[in-house]
Amino acid sequence: MRTLQNLNFPKAMAELLPKLFGQALEIVLIVSVVAFVLAILFGFLFALGRLSHHKILNGILVVFQEFIRGTPLLVQLVYIYYVFPLFVEIIAYWCGNPTFKCTLSATVAGVIGLTINYGTYISEVIRSAILAIDKGQTEAALALGFSKRQAMFRIVIPQAFRNSIPVFGNYLLTLVKDTSLMAYITAPELLQTTKAYISQTFTTIESYSILAVVYLVICLILSGLLKVAERKLVRRR
Amino acid sequence: MALLEIKNLQKSFGDLKVLKDVNMSIEEGEVLVIIGPSGSGKSTFLRCLNLLETPSGGEILYDGKDILKPKFAVREYRQQVGMCFQRFNLFPFMTVLNNVTYGPIHLLKMPKEQAQAEAMALLEKVGMAAKANVYPDTLSGGQQQRVAIARSLAMHPKMMLFDEPTSALDPELVGEVLCTMKELADDGMTMAVVTHEMTFAEDVADRVIFMDGGVVVEDDTPDEIFSNPKNPRTKAFLSRILDR
Ligand SMILES: Nc1ncnc2c1ncn2[C@@H]1O[C@H](COP(=O)(O)OP(=O)(O)OP(=O)(O)O)[C@@H](O)[C@H]1O
Ligand SMILES: [Mg+2]
Repeated sequence: MRTLQNLNFPKAMAELLPKLFGQALEIVLIVSVVAFVLAILFGFLFALGRLSHHKILNGILVVFQEFIRGTPLLVQLVYIYYVFPLFVEIIAYWCGNPTFKCTLSATVAGVIGLTINYGTYISEVIRSAILAIDKGQTEAALALGFSKRQAMFRIVIPQAFRNSIPVFGNYLLTLVKDTSLMAYITAPELLQTTKAYISQTFTTIESYSILAVVYLVICLILSGLLKVAERKLVRRR
Repeated sequence: MALLEIKNLQKSFGDLKVLKDVNMSIEEGEVLVIIGPSGSGKSTFLRCLNLLETPSGGEILYDGKDILKPKFAVREYRQQVGMCFQRFNLFPFMTVLNNVTYGPIHLLKMPKEQAQAEAMALLEKVGMAAKANVYPDTLSGGQQQRVAIARSLAMHPKMMLFDEPTSALDPELVGEVLCTMKELADDGMTMAVVTHEMTFAEDVADRVIFMDGGVVVEDDTPDEIFSNPKNPRTKAFLSRILDR
């Protein structure tokens, strides 16, 4: 049984922090930024699909949405990382290529999973933001002589995006924290790196405490940056 | 030939027949004021005129061409028929100047400098040049409506439609908008105006139409309508509304 006296925070910090602020943080930041940008793009296209009057497309998207919202992100990541490549191999086998090996890097699987998961939630944000824009805006554009499509893309969507920016910011914050789930698909991000360090040093208390503080600091910095960005991007109304 | 000729126009929303059989015409340069009780179909009628609502039946002839024909160039037509709304509907993320230049630049492919010069002249005309670079939400309702008028005029319309342009305004702001509209009428603009401002109708209109229950009940000069209404429904409406 370890006692509080033999906790050695300075040593754990000296050894663990360089690991965390090296490759681990790099993975978290890159995955977060890439997945966030892709998620907004994905969500936008998804929202347009849902807003289209195409019944079949709408049906498919609604079912997809239920799948994503009805299963945990962790399960989705595991599925993409472990199961999806197996399917590809089976298909390759059917197509007469029995030796084909498919592997997905953990980071790529993470980006895909986070993009689809967050994109699906973000699509609802964008969709309702588009629907919330006053119909008078579209009518004013039509009355000037713009087409429906132009009214949508030039007048409605820019306003919907501006109105969504604060919500996007919140999603970015949770996305950064959710990258920790990639530890379960072997991505050497912050949590995985910490676990690896603990398994060598048995410094459970110190290491997880340090990890928690590192996440806290990242999120505080990020939410500060988001506030500044919001003030710049969202025009007063 | 009338600029706009409306024959047997009908519009239903589901089972609700809002316009039953509207017949009338608007001559070039004419100022037509449409009055009538709430729910009588005035807005619906005006919205049919620039196809924000699709009529259920009848004909609308613009320069002799039926605008309800499938091949009719609706967008070009809408560029020639401006519309001002009760709630202004300025684009909130653009400055006043950009609101006014947006249509000409993107639809008429006007060079930016020219569009801005024209916009400034129009803003000058409606008394809003000083506010060219602010955003609409900093303006009063009356100011926003005058900008909206300038935005429509920037498209060089042949005709303007107004749907209760002053009824969302505080009473002290009504005058400035009506004044702008009167100037427009004096410049010879063809106008169709739905309004409850009877003084405007008396002073500015060439013709007044009284609508009730989805039909044109009376169509006459303002003098006749206001001093000598023939239909009992017109009389009843006017005595209610002019009871001041
Ligand atoms: N999009 C719509 N769907 C269903 N019903 C509608 C629609 N637009 C208008 N109506 C109905 O049509 C009728 C006429 O409405 P309209 O707005 O044309 O009247 P109005 O004469 O402009 O009245 P007001 O003076 O109150 O503006 C009303 O009963 C209204 O409820
Ligand atoms: Mg109305």
